[in-house]
Amino acid sequence: MIRRLDRLQVVLAAMLASLGVMTVFSARADWQRQVVWVIAGAAIYVAATTFDYRRLRTVAPALYGGMMLMLVGVHLVGHTALGARRWLAVAGFPLEPSELSKLVLVVVLGAYLARTDRIGWRAFAGALGLAAAPACLVVTQPDLGTTLVLAAVTFGMLFLGGARPVQLGSVLTAAVVMVPSLPNLLRGYQQRRLEVFLNPSLDPLGAGYNLIQARIAVGSGGMFGRGWLHGMQGQLGFIPERATDFVFATFAEEFGLLGSLVLLTLFGTLLIRVLRSAGVASDRFGELLAGGVFAMILVQLLENVGMNIGLLPIAGIPLPLISYGGSATITTLAGLGIVQSVTVRRRRVVHEEPLPINGQESLLGTITRRAQA
Amino acid sequence: MSELPLQLGGVAPQPRWSLRLTAAATLAVLVIGLLAVKLAQLQVTDGSRLAAMAQANTIRHLVLEADRGIIYDRHGAPLVENSPVWSLVVVPAGLPPAARDRAEELVLLARLTGVAEEKLAAQLLNADPFAPATVKANLSQADELAINERLPELPGASIAQRSIRRYGEPMVFGHVLGYVGPIDSSHVKSLRAAGYQPDEMVGKVGVEAGLEELLRGTDGWADVEVDARGQVKRVLETQAAVPGHAVYLSLDAALQRATAASLAAGLARDHKTAGASVVIDPRTGEVLAMISLPAYDTNLFTRGISQADFSRLLNDPDKPLLNRAIAGQYAPGSTFKMVTATAGLQEGKITAETLLACPPYINVNGWIYHNWASYSLGRMNVARALATSCDTFFYQVASMVGDVTLARYARAYGFGTAKAIEMPGVTAGLVPDRIWKQLQCGVPDLNSDECRWSEGDTITFGIGQSYLLTTPLNQAVYVATLANGGHLLRPTLVHEVRDASGRVVQTQKAEVTSDVPASAGNIQSVREGMRQEINPPYHMNFWFRASGVPADGGGKTGTAQWGGSGLDLPTHAWFVFFAPYAQPEIALSVFVERGELSEVQAAPIGVDITKFYRDNLSSIRRQ
Repeated sequence: MIRRLDRLQVVLAAMLASLGVMTVFSARADWQRQVVWVIAGAAIYVAATTFDYRRLRTVAPALYGGMMLMLVGVHLVGHTALGARRWLAVAGFPLEPSELSKLVLVVVLGAYLARTDRIGWRAFAGALGLAAAPACLVVTQPDLGTTLVLAAVTFGMLFLGGARPVQLGSVLTAAVVMVPSLPNLLRGYQQRRLEVFLNPSLDPLGAGYNLIQARIAVGSGGMFGRGWLHGMQGQLGFIPERATDFVFATFAEEFGLLGSLVLLTLFGTLLIRVLRSAGVASDRFGELLAGGVFAMILVQLLENVGMNIGLLPIAGIPLPLISYGGSATITTLAGLGIVQSVTVRRRRVVHEEPLPINGQESLLGTITRRAQA
Repeated sequence: MSELPLQLGGVAPQPRWSLRLTAAATLAVLVIGLLAVKLAQLQVTDGSRLAAMAQANTIRHLVLEADRGIIYDRHGAPLVENSPVWSLVVVPAGLPPAARDRAEELVLLARLTGVAEEKLAAQLLNADPFAPATVKANLSQADELAINERLPELPGASIAQRSIRRYGEPMVFGHVLGYVGPIDSSHVKSLRAAGYQPDEMVGKVGVEAGLEELLRGTDGWADVEVDARGQVKRVLETQAAVPGHAVYLSLDAALQRATAASLAAGLARDHKTAGASVVIDPRTGEVLAMISLPAYDTNLFTRGISQADFSRLLNDPDKPLLNRAIAGQYAPGSTFKMVTATAGLQEGKITAETLLACPPYINVNGWIYHNWASYSLGRMNVARALATSCDTFFYQVASMVGDVTLARYARAYGFGTAKAIEMPGVTAGLVPDRIWKQLQCGVPDLNSDECRWSEGDTITFGIGQSYLLTTPLNQAVYVATLANGGHLLRPTLVHEVRDASGRVVQTQKAEVTSDVPASAGNIQSVREGMRQEINPPYHMNFWFRASGVPADGGGKTGTAQWGGSGLDLPTHAWFVFFAPYAQPEIALSVFVERGELSEVQAAPIGVDITKFYRDNLSSIRRQ
């Protein structure tokens, strides 16, 4: 099994998580705790790799139910911080169910869409319905960022799952139609963020402050950066949320364009590796899982880095493996572990050394795969 | 299956890059490419500009204000202190980012300072977010403590300490010390070039202004790194401030107080409201006391005077803001007669023994000029003429000497020159002569009566009237010159200057400006007249006997008319005096504005001051 591992993916994840701990350390967040999260995430990664992802299909309904319970629970007994109710205390740890919901949605949609080879209108509507329920609970926390991630994951999985262009087109059209009514749907502070994104000087001390300071930090990093622990903006607290939402600004100030390009390259390679896993998956479920994780990481990378460099409006989304935070780190590592599990149990010749436990299912997977092709 | 051989070795199978997977991969590459392009633009193209903004965010150049030098009296008693004042300073960027928290903090700040909340908000939100803004200056000690206690709840707010001048006895020392105040907008530019900060205090009046360069010191600076809340994290480079020099004035604090008290008591006795007195050491020119009444509280100015207070001072008919000792210009009256006497003797028009009549009046070209007495005082020599203050005697001498020569002697005694004393606003007074009078008129009408110097001008010049003007300071210098035998000294207010470490950097030395062009004998004859005036049988001696002060010295009273010419004009009262007679230690002038009788109103004040000096200081100063 070790031989079948996507070793490059392990290396990439490890490198990103190490850079994350370094940046969190530099941002004066609780880096030791982040190390604990990474270790916990690594354990879950190993467990997920060993665990046969195909068994997830059977537990998917239970996962979905659990996720919905937690999301409802957040609304009922959650902790409020920064104006949003996002946290649940689980065994003394603050847990952010909306983070976990990203991955749960990947599993649930994968299991649901894998039931059929083609996505008919019924399956299409069913998938949207499955995604809409948690999205509604998340957006009302309010947590616009995670909602966007859920939407992107759904769209990505529909796309990779083979949804017809007309179906994808209708989703996109609906989204575009929604945009004009967006200001009414957004909370006051979200509207403000949007306005300020369009014109940061509107409120240089309030909402625009974050944007301006993050841009200054990124820009002052220059080509080679100010050096680890030597970012002025970051070290002196001019970057807001410097360990979480704006962790990329902290990173880019200290490591410069060169470091940022290295980071982007690591992410890019990781994303391609994840897609590759989808390509070698032995069944449609595995392919969908890998595709979902891909979409999950890509949209978070885009939005987080995008808002840090003033390309996109501010939405509270962590940079996977880099931002401080237990739920996000563990979710990402668990997702990558599942992808690894897909890779390990990849498509292969029927007779070739069947895995002792899962040989039968592996055979089935390959057959399903053939049928699809 | 074509992949079969590859899989046998456990090598990964060729992934099946379906169209959609390829599209997704392409999307990922595009997204990352877009981010990379934008990043490159930010970090390379805009990099230096944004780095400069980061620098401006975090590096602040602070000016470390130098302590202003302390001013002491000659014995080292401090006359002013630098006392701390606190102001509340807010760095807008340090305020909480959330609008609600910020509003809460503004409410709290408004409550603590008493400044209206809207005003606070307007001030802070329009300011440079990273520059400290003074929200309230001059916090009371109680406010300072209250706010200090709550600072942890007030991110962005801090308390800045400055020092301001506090004058110990402004009603006694105020006119001499003056005060400091904010720089006038008209001077901002020139002072900026000299390294002043726009909000710095600068000496405006008195020695605070006159000795500005000594007192000011050199500001230091520090380049510090501050965090987003304005807290100093690191000092990058610093240069300590050099405090200003300590100035030991020539004033004797005790004598200054006594002079103020004597003058105030004398004025009150005769229901007068304004006056001045200057006491000088005739050996060195050092000013031992300088008083101008009414005085005012100079402390009103150090925190920025209120409009009400300022207009009250400005509109007071007694002009408290005017330092009469240096800037009040009045006719000297009979106190001038020593100049006329010196001129007459030195020019050979009279000798010490020459006897002239002292009629009740003389007739010059049909104009009648009166003596103060309506009867003849008989023939007398110059000493007796001084002692009796016979006007008609000096009319004759002035006529013999002539206006131009008389003016020359007046100048030799320091009349008509603004003394180079260490404060601004010193006036010269006026020594007239025929050329001056013609210049007053301009070219067209040189021979009219207003323009042409008349014999009447000359003879009234001889008794200190005519157009002659002097100041209490000039009078003191004049009598000091008589006291020391004819050496005109530069008066000074500075005894010694020390730097911050206590090292003496400047010691005052007696500086003789010029000598009166008269023989020692002639000056002695004039002094003899002054000695006689305060001794029996003349009734001036009464004040000395009444006070128990030996009449050992020389004095001269003067009741000077002002406000035109004629018989019933208002007068000012003068008394000039030096003591002791043989080796004088003090020379003083006393001026009573609108005083009618110098012998009764001005002289007792001078005697009082002399008594204090003899009783308390003479022995000390002889050591």
